Amino acid sequence: MATDIHAVLKDPTNDGHEDGIVRQARDFLSGNEAAARAARDIGFHVMGYFPITPSTEVAETLSKMQASGEHEIVMIPADGEHGAAGICYGAALGGGRVLNATSSQGLLYALEQLPVQSSTRVPMVLNVATRAISGPLDIRCDHSDIYFALNTGWIILLAREPQAVYDMNLAAIRIGEHADVRLPVLVAYDGFFTSHQKRRVECIEDGEALQKFLGTPHTPYPALDPRHPVTFGPYMNDPDLINNKKQHSLAMEAARRVIPEVFEELAQLTGRHWPVMDAYRMDDAEVAVVMLNSAAETAKEVADRLRSKGKKAGVLSLNVLRPFPTEMIRTALSGVKAIVVGDRADSYGADGGNLSLEVRAALQVDPDNRTRVLTRIYGLGGKDFDDSDAEEFFAQALKVAESGKVDEVFAYHGTFAGDPEKTVAHGLPAIETSEVTRGMATVRDDPETGKLQVELKPLWAMAEVPSRIAPGHGACPGCGAFPVLHQVFSVLEGDIVVLFQTGCAMVVTTGYPKTAHRVTYIHNLFQNGAATLSGLVEMYHELLRRGELPDSPDITFVMVTGDGGMDIGMGAALGAAHRNHHMMILEYDNQGYMNTGAQLSYSTPLGHRTSTSEVGARRKGKATQHKDTAQIFAATHVPYVFTASEGYPEDLMRKAAKAQWYAKNEGMTYGKILSFCPLNWTTSDDAAESTLQVAIDSCFFPIYEVERGITNITYDPELLGRRRKITEWLGQMGKTKHLMAKGNEERLASIEDEVERRWRRIKAMHDHPEL
Amino acid sequence: MNECVLPDPTGFFEIRFESIGGLGAHAAGQILARAAVLKLNLNGSHFSSYGSEKKGSVVRSYVRLGDTDKPIRTSAPIDSPDALVVFHGALLEQEITIAGMKNSGTLIYNGCEGEVPELLKNVPAGARIIRIDATNIAIEELSRPNAVLLGALTAAAPFLDADTVLETLTEKFAKRNPQAAASNERAYRRGASEYEVLEGVGEGSGDLPAMRPSPVLGYETAPIGGVIPYAGNTVSNDLSASRTGWMPLFTDEECVHCGLCATVCPDFCLVWTHEQLNGEESKVRLKGIDYQYCKGCMRCIETCPTEAMTRVTETPGLADELRVPLFVAGNPGS
Repeated sequence: MATDIHAVLKDPTNDGHEDGIVRQARDFLSGNEAAARAARDIGFHVMGYFPITPSTEVAETLSKMQASGEHEIVMIPADGEHGAAGICYGAALGGGRVLNATSSQGLLYALEQLPVQSSTRVPMVLNVATRAISGPLDIRCDHSDIYFALNTGWIILLAREPQAVYDMNLAAIRIGEHADVRLPVLVAYDGFFTSHQKRRVECIEDGEALQKFLGTPHTPYPALDPRHPVTFGPYMNDPDLINNKKQHSLAMEAARRVIPEVFEELAQLTGRHWPVMDAYRMDDAEVAVVMLNSAAETAKEVADRLRSKGKKAGVLSLNVLRPFPTEMIRTALSGVKAIVVGDRADSYGADGGNLSLEVRAALQVDPDNRTRVLTRIYGLGGKDFDDSDAEEFFAQALKVAESGKVDEVFAYHGTFAGDPEKTVAHGLPAIETSEVTRGMATVRDDPETGKLQVELKPLWAMAEVPSRIAPGHGACPGCGAFPVLHQVFSVLEGDIVVLFQTGCAMVVTTGYPKTAHRVTYIHNLFQNGAATLSGLVEMYHELLRRGELPDSPDITFVMVTGDGGMDIGMGAALGAAHRNHHMMILEYDNQGYMNTGAQLSYSTPLGHRTSTSEVGARRKGKATQHKDTAQIFAATHVPYVFTASEGYPEDLMRKAAKAQWYAKNEGMTYGKILSFCPLNWTTSDDAAESTLQVAIDSCFFPIYEVERGITNITYDPELLGRRRKITEWLGQMGKTKHLMAKGNEERLASIEDEVERRWRRIKAMHDHPEL
Repeated sequence: MNECVLPDPTGFFEIRFESIGGLGAHAAGQILARAAVLKLNLNGSHFSSYGSEKKGSVVRSYVRLGDTDKPIRTSAPIDSPDALVVFHGALLEQEITIAGMKNSGTLIYNGCEGEVPELLKNVPAGARIIRIDATNIAIEELSRPNAVLLGALTAAAPFLDADTVLETLTEKFAKRNPQAAASNERAYRRGASEYEVLEGVGEGSGDLPAMRPSPVLGYETAPIGGVIPYAGNTVSNDLSASRTGWMPLFTDEECVHCGLCATVCPDFCLVWTHEQLNGEESKVRLKGIDYQYCKGCMRCIETCPTEAMTRVTETPGLADELRVPLFVAGNPGS
């Protein structure tokens, strides 16, 4: 049963004649890159995806390869992971090969779709770089996400290192598409530990041999054959559903047989043998640790050391989590006296994480089994598991093996109770209402015009208003989100409660146990911020109405989001708009998902380079035009919608003051504010003004408001004789420099035409109040 | 393929790069490990510790090298490096930068001639300490500090073939931008020759213990639900290390106190005061900069209508000397 999965080819450039092993080339890849390489080599038809750390690099690497013409996978950037799952499901119904990659909250957001796909028996491959689930938002590794997938009916393969990620992706195709199985397959590897750690990886060079191994996808019921109409997803109650589930269960049983067959064929192709269960030095083991993925590898080092001291120690880990190899585990542990099962996620209140519970259940079937099982919850949120941790696990197992007694069946490992001597810096006192109610902007409703009139104090007077965000936050040098917030907050009167959706401004202000916020702040994930804040708004008004907040000051509610949050969170925000809650939404638009490494958002303009719209011989940046979020919100007929730029503080401040007035008196307001991002626009840190100015003067970003349905341009570069060419803007940023090169004329013209068309439209609306 | 024999062929040779985001430590680690695995027939791994921290925060990059047949199983960060490369002098003010330093190890740091940070005293006496002026060499050669530091590292660890590492460093640009490749090569070669070995600086005895950041709050002391009831406590953070050699300088005589800089400063580090002159209406005036929070973006200079804000080279101690604190002890709030 002992296997060494690390046996690597001595000669990195196997010529293919040795033992019938396919021609391979050595590379140095992270787990994410290995997944992308496998995807390229497989040649999937479609990828639907939404970026989330730490899995994003899969799509990024594929985007780079796509730009240089290395593959022809159709890559579809979804509006969120739920959308991505839908795209993948639809594409897979068509019969071709489909890929996705996600992590953490992304998996959970997609979760609802996963059983739909598995129970309708539609294969695809989903890579999951495992990561802790919220809340508190933690981007690092544990298995709390993948444990949620255990009941989805998907095959789950595990990959403990980048080589395994590559190999398991190849195996996943064959397993999922097998006629007796027909199930989607999830390949899970540890976020950061595996997703971002580069290791030696052998990749297949002989494409023909690989395609022969993969075979042609065959779909018994394709959705794209009008001559053979099929109904997918009928309405099915009892007594039928249970039989559908029995079929599903039988498919999993078939997978038990198919998986080792596929692994064996893969071994013949590559020379690398992956067992279903990895039993390391288990043959005569008296104690063992049972763990998943990268931590199990660390434990092997310690098992070796214990063996050299005469202790019979082994490590049991899995390469397949679904179907769970119950029988193999039972056999492998039959003579083992004590084990520690390390769970990298808890099933709160169950006295064990899912792995422990399933291992215990597997042993329970054997009436002769005497193995004592300890559960240890470890390594949550990316906490390292190193040699000393593995030593502790083995020591606990050895103690139980010797004494036969178990003191503590279930425990957390590596926690810290706290030290009364240690305290957190207490920060700043709450801001007095009077300090932020200084009349920096005076708003008056003018019944004559039907518009609000705003009078601003001079900028120097505002410099003294206490900032509702403290210094010491961790934003990049030159970040535009903070000037935006500062300008807005300078004129907002009285007490505010803010909700920040996931994004840069959220991450850099609230690194635990510190917060830059001097007012009450809430984070919720960006698919749901607007809904969350709307709930709080309604609770506030209801508590007031019932007299249960007798001394409450007048609170203004402000949601802050990036443009990315307005892709995935669009549905919730539109819902809030249609319900017209008394709240403000502010979008700092830096034209991409900058928090996660500059992936495209729908607000990214055509042709711009992002990490998921790369530039190369075959692709020239983003393929579609930028999203017109302000117009979408104008169509909800909320009382006030505006656009602004941090480059025009007084204009933005006037609009912020109006937005506060409307949020208090009439309902929801929406502002989209162009915000500088030197890191990802690739400019110097101090190029904000020049870059923003020309973005506005080129009419790419029209500055206007829609007040009670009437459009009003507040800065018209044409009237002022300042209109500039779009190329003057694009030429200023590294992310758009390629558009200046020869051969991009058509694309440039397309940007110019669209900008012009939208500008004319706004002009017409400005000129005609009925529009 | 060149063969490479490590000092201890049965163990690992481990390298830790300590840096600030944006200086190229991640790339340096990747280049070195890539060269080792693909060209020197070693087994190796590389990764960096960075998460959603932004540009300007601490980045650690780790390279673990072993014999080609030695499996690499651990994914853990490198606690006790054989070679430690420090990209920014400011990092040598923090104990954790040199944590785990071995008595048999090598420490390479980026510093001007004569610059010997106090902390280096704590380095074990047996360890080699090497200084290289990577910043200035990089500026002179139109390259980056990482090229210079990689050059110095291969000189200090000659079993890592210098030409092979250089080839990996320059191959990305070789075709597309031969000029950049040539710049990097010059910077790299100068790094390999212009370093200084400091004698008698380290006074520590034996290996330094490893350090891992430990939490302040635990499950018995943290408020439930992960809430932070300490408003605005980021004011205790020090962001000085985010500046990369320059800082804005405020000249009161040139200032018209218009408040424009306050609208663009992302770091809220400008200090304002109230002043009443000879019975006139009270005015808000700019008093100075709190360099504890200034990340050196220079947006205040871009927006300043006069010459009140100018860009100057940050010499040691200058920011401390000119700093106007926003929050005085016992009197927090602005």
